[in-house]
Amino acid sequence: MTSAATTATAPKLADRMRAIVGPTNVLASPSDLVVYECDGFTIEKNKPDVVVFPTSTEQIVAIVKACGELGVPFVPRGAGTSLAGGCLPIGGGVMIALTRMKRILEVNYRDRYAIIEPGVVNLWLTNHIKPNGYHFAPDPSSQGACTIGGNVATNSGGPHTLKYGVTVNHVLGVELVLPDGRVVQTGGPHEDNPGYDLTGVIVGSEGTFGVATKAWVRITRNPEAYRTLLGVFESVDDATNTISEIIGAGIIPGALELLDSLILQAVEAAFRFGFPLDAGAVLIMEVDGLDAGLDQDAERIVEIAKRNNAREVRRANTEAERLLLWKSRKQAFGAVGRLAPSYCTQDGVVPRTKLPEILRFIRAVGTKYNIRIANVFHAGDGNIHPILLFDERDADQVKRVLGASHEILDECIRLGGSVTGEHGIGVEKIDFMPKLFSPEDLAMMVRLRSAFNPENRCSPQKMLPTAGACIEQSKAGRHAAM
Amino acid sequence: MPTTTHIDGFGPLSMTTPTTTAELAQVVRAAAAGSTALYPVGGGTKLALGTPPTRSGQAVSMHGLARIIDFPARDMTVTVEAGITIRELRDTLAREKLRLPIDVAHADRATLGGIIAANTSGPRRYGFGTLRDYVIGISALNDEGNEFKAGGRVVKNVAGYDICKLLTGSLGTLGIITQVTLKLRPLAEEQAIISLACDADKVEQILANLHGSRTRPICLDLLNRLAARRVFEQAHLPVPDAAWVLLVGYEGNADAVSWQVQQLVKEVGILAKLEARVDFTAQPLWDALVEFADRPGDELVLKSSMLPSAVATFCLNADRDGAALRAHAANGIVYGHWSADATLDCAAETLKRWRESSGTIITRCHSEWKRTLDVWGPPRNDAWLMREVKAKFDPKNIFNPGRFVAGI
Repeated sequence: MTSAATTATAPKLADRMRAIVGPTNVLASPSDLVVYECDGFTIEKNKPDVVVFPTSTEQIVAIVKACGELGVPFVPRGAGTSLAGGCLPIGGGVMIALTRMKRILEVNYRDRYAIIEPGVVNLWLTNHIKPNGYHFAPDPSSQGACTIGGNVATNSGGPHTLKYGVTVNHVLGVELVLPDGRVVQTGGPHEDNPGYDLTGVIVGSEGTFGVATKAWVRITRNPEAYRTLLGVFESVDDATNTISEIIGAGIIPGALELLDSLILQAVEAAFRFGFPLDAGAVLIMEVDGLDAGLDQDAERIVEIAKRNNAREVRRANTEAERLLLWKSRKQAFGAVGRLAPSYCTQDGVVPRTKLPEILRFIRAVGTKYNIRIANVFHAGDGNIHPILLFDERDADQVKRVLGASHEILDECIRLGGSVTGEHGIGVEKIDFMPKLFSPEDLAMMVRLRSAFNPENRCSPQKMLPTAGACIEQSKAGRHAAM
Repeated sequence: MPTTTHIDGFGPLSMTTPTTTAELAQVVRAAAAGSTALYPVGGGTKLALGTPPTRSGQAVSMHGLARIIDFPARDMTVTVEAGITIRELRDTLAREKLRLPIDVAHADRATLGGIIAANTSGPRRYGFGTLRDYVIGISALNDEGNEFKAGGRVVKNVAGYDICKLLTGSLGTLGIITQVTLKLRPLAEEQAIISLACDADKVEQILANLHGSRTRPICLDLLNRLAARRVFEQAHLPVPDAAWVLLVGYEGNADAVSWQVQQLVKEVGILAKLEARVDFTAQPLWDALVEFADRPGDELVLKSSMLPSAVATFCLNADRDGAALRAHAANGIVYGHWSADATLDCAAETLKRWRESSGTIITRCHSEWKRTLDVWGPPRNDAWLMREVKAKFDPKNIFNPGRFVAGI
């Protein structure tokens, strides 16, 4: 078991790190460390003893070896936009911030892959390859800030996962520094490398296997055209039935996003898109692909929406209209500030056909706990993001928000779903793991982790529950997009 | 009645057919107690893949575990037991206009657990990916005979490690897969397959053109003359008279498919002789292309992995080796199939040459040849980590010992 540096050892630790990465790439003063005490999950905070900013794989090898010698834990960190406490430095130790490893090492259009360092911001890669008609498909709402290394760690999603898949579907290989300092490359630009798909389990391991120092990612050709429709519904049920019918008709839209009336008010106040404020729900429905087939799909979608009592179905007629619609969606969380001083969002998943049920449940829970709850989410995947509105200065409200959140996630499990679709387990949802998985399931996950990280020195106490590591949550509040 | 079987020339092994997970668990516990090996068998279509067993033990037929557990069609997922045949799965899904878009030869025999263990794929992988993109939940028996699961039944889920990916393609070496939840896709409204017959000097140019094509093919299979003859004869179609045939597939709604066929003619019509088959007329060619993967007469099959941009050069060179060559050109995967005339010396020589410019494995050959031929090729840089994972999952080495890469 490793433990944090003490007052006596911390300066020594910082010196070791300075020797490896140079003094300008180390932060060790308490005021500097405050920034790194949490990610988008702010309930729990803890400062690392030191933050290092390596610029090469070799430096990371030296860093983790030093941590081993000194017996301190370490945790990798990208931009810190994660929402479940994945880069919380439990037990202090060394935080390895990867934001200075930000080179795009290679782009190969003919073979459709790119090699990137972990600190490359998601949107940078897409912007870099856009002139050639390509993009990196995973597009979490934080894509302007989050790093691809972070996407790899959390297996990030985004609005377009319904058709294009999540991060793991776009990662071909990873270079990983293991906690003992060994460097391994799994996968690579060739498909079907013989052996276990280690890349497939490294993606989504939330930094508990080692430090990813390089990734081979697939690049995707841009769709030739889009048809973006906005369906206005009197009720959430009509909107969710529309979703099931569209997909049942064999159409896989690029995105299907639902906004309920409460979130519409906030978004409309912020962006003035022209959303109807008296609607029960609106659906953003976008089909993409070849221009030739899109009108056929769009017409069928309009038909289906109308059959499900859509009051109207609008089309984004220009690219500017389409972009404003997407801006309204992706920045919806920013607009929530207009509704309440604090909010907390959850990331449950239910089978798509259970959406009406879970949304009714969320309404009932809101009433029960006297908490207003807004909904904006990736409806095509059944991935809900209820936003619980409150004032964090009021302890009673905080307690009610936590109670309501837990009831919602429990209901997701009961309906056959999961407690996280894209944000991860981190520390936030660690208590739900025994509800989702049996002791046998968890034991196999521990076995897997022990192959990579036998001493649990890398990102300790994340994802898998350990005895005595229960977190007492008494605060709720988070300000980030998804 | 006890039955026996051989696995890759090794045997006879007694074979048991449990009909419940509990029965299977007993088999695993007994094997664990005696440290004897277990060799799970599905339809037996991929038993030639891997190195032959070296430890005595028992074969376990998965045919008794073939139930459909849950099929919420509107959620586009299905949960089934691993012993279900691909044919039954396909028919069940098709009744709801759904499918698992993975191409599998011998669908009436191949089982879902088997194709997951072997990570089977076919021509449509260019458009639809491989099994790792569809297995969203998995249950398996571990080395103690206890069932464990990973993933779940929803299409988007990041809770816990994605052991589904680890088991996919693990050749049964980490546990026995008992139950699987799949993400599904709608059946395509329309399909087309276009054959482009051309000379050797046009292959690279056509592939490069198709890479930048405005159309979005879901299949780009390149066949040499021998492979084309087998595929077209199997489909009862006239064989194109050309050194190379490229088969370009499209699926989607009717408007999109018909536009793409016309567009393809505009883009590469001048470089090759084109023949388009749309709707049901495309089916025989599709089927033949899928079944080509596992032809009964094949004595030696090599599979090479390279960058897609290297495929044309590789294939033109390999055309001298006397194989029926088929490439999933846009995925950088090339298969060479030899029938009765193959010899061990010739196999060794070809394998050596192919490995100079690609990662090559043997997917089928005489079991006794495997004493001299290196089936999996030189271990990759992560082989030790794979052994580490194997040691954690199966410390007594009871699951398919010795059959996989790096001595696993």
